[in-house]
Amino acid sequence: MSGARILLIEDTPSQAELALAQLRALGHEVRHAATGREALAIAESWRPEVALVDLGLPDMKGFEVMERLDGPAMVVVTAQGSVATAVEAMKRGAGDFIVKPWKRERLHATIESELEKRRLRVELRAAKEALNPSRFGPFIGASAAMQAVYRTIQAVAASKASVFVTGESGTGKELAAEALHGASPRAKGPFVALNCGAIPKDLLEAEIFGVVKGAFTGAGESRDGAAQRADGGTLFLDEIGEMPAEAQVKLLRFIQTGVAQPVGGGEGRRLDVRFVAATNRDIQAEVAEGRFREDLFWRLYVVPVELPPLRERGADAVLLARHFLAVFAKEEGKGFRRLAPEAEAVIQANPWPGNVRQLQNVIRNAVVLHEGETLEAAMLPAALLRGAVPAPAEPRPAATVPPVTMIEAAPPPIEPLAAMEKRAILRALEETGQDVAAAARLLEVNPSTIYRKLQAWKGQAT
Amino acid sequence: MESFDPGVIAALREDLLADALRGILRTFEADLARLLGELVAAAQAGRRDAYLHAAHAIAGAAGAVGLTGLEGLARIAMDPDQPEGPAAIVPRILAEGRAGLAALVREIG
Repeated sequence: MSGARILLIEDTPSQAELALAQLRALGHEVRHAATGREALAIAESWRPEVALVDLGLPDMKGFEVMERLDGPAMVVVTAQGSVATAVEAMKRGAGDFIVKPWKRERLHATIESELEKRRLRVELRAAKEALNPSRFGPFIGASAAMQAVYRTIQAVAASKASVFVTGESGTGKELAAEALHGASPRAKGPFVALNCGAIPKDLLEAEIFGVVKGAFTGAGESRDGAAQRADGGTLFLDEIGEMPAEAQVKLLRFIQTGVAQPVGGGEGRRLDVRFVAATNRDIQAEVAEGRFREDLFWRLYVVPVELPPLRERGADAVLLARHFLAVFAKEEGKGFRRLAPEAEAVIQANPWPGNVRQLQNVIRNAVVLHEGETLEAAMLPAALLRGAVPAPAEPRPAATVPPVTMIEAAPPPIEPLAAMEKRAILRALEETGQDVAAAARLLEVNPSTIYRKLQAWKGQAT
Repeated sequence: MESFDPGVIAALREDLLADALRGILRTFEADLARLLGELVAAAQAGRRDAYLHAAHAIAGAAGAVGLTGLEGLARIAMDPDQPEGPAAIVPRILAEGRAGLAALVREIG
């Protein structure tokens, strides 16, 4: 192996000159830094494969430079050949240790050996990453549950099949849609996301299909909807369960014919759109209840992708927390570089009812409120340390928010006990993001009771 | 006694072109003058870290060009448990430095 990028960190000019001449004679590309700061700057931009580090630098200790270098194999070169120095060098991450003066053969053998070790490390990391990627598009997570998600997204990306994403609030349903779009041949086309729950029901059709001038009061100009804007790309319909019945009919027709009809009539336009829908509701229960059209459901539910809650993603919580820490520290101009092991243990142990969004909020909060290089457990919210953080307030779908009224409401009409029971169970499931165990706790029943009831209702529906 | 290892220079001659070797020798000469100055100043001022740093640099630089006598004395100076204090060892280092450099110039030209 030859022609490696080598960073020589040496402050004595004659030593540097000699090493440069020898390394270049061995065929390597070499850059020289006479101070620790200079070395870190070169390493940042040039990404050397091997760093030869002299321990006695004028501005900082060689060991300190080694701790801050990220990536190269490190070889300590020093006139101090004591066992203690060698042990310390190895502890700080040096792959080898050369005592000055060195022979050219020794230098050559050491560099070749370090390059080989580095190559193997890089290959091993790449192989592990290929088998169990810790990142996929915008996702971060190496858990088995997320690997299954990545595999499904990858497998279905090339097709035009509709994808239906389910999962609790905060699990990243829109990210899944973006990942799918990004991995698809449509990646260069538009990705248009529309939250059906955030748009007033009577405006939803116009938002999706566009509007013809004069179609209704206020429609002063013709304009495209999300469907037209997504032509050649992906249309992501979030909170699809909130879509009113009339819009469902129109969407079904669009999916069947490929022609989007703007509100107010006019010429429909044939569009090439891939559909991704998502909901945190039990969409099959919505179909069974008659609130969501079954024919539309089957058109959209071609490939289901279920996003696991964070509590089922093992060590992903810590991976995500580290990522958020780096991002928010940069955004907020703070010096945080790492999570303390105790903080990681707390993060790992928490059930995260609000999922990734909650974790994101907790880390941002800690970054904003504290200073330092290490985010300690004590900087996390007290409730988290007690193992019970309330999930962040979620914007509830309009349909589930009871209307606020100043008039005392009339008592609800008497209804069959079975219907009340069903309503209570479905409400509890909705409240807990379809978490049967949590819903059972709210209802003070055994989870098996809920499973039994769900099974029975499914039987009635078929 | 001339504390110079001609084997080191012979090996460098094999590795490097004559001009490159002469260039390194000139740089070493400048380094040695500067480092000896730093060693003396640090010893006089009682700045222990600077003293050890200069001794460490002299040992490395001298060893690289085969000045084994100078390297050995510098290693004594950089040993925190050295029996000889700076007042005793620094004059010996200065003398050995001058002698070694003269030998090197004679050898390389």
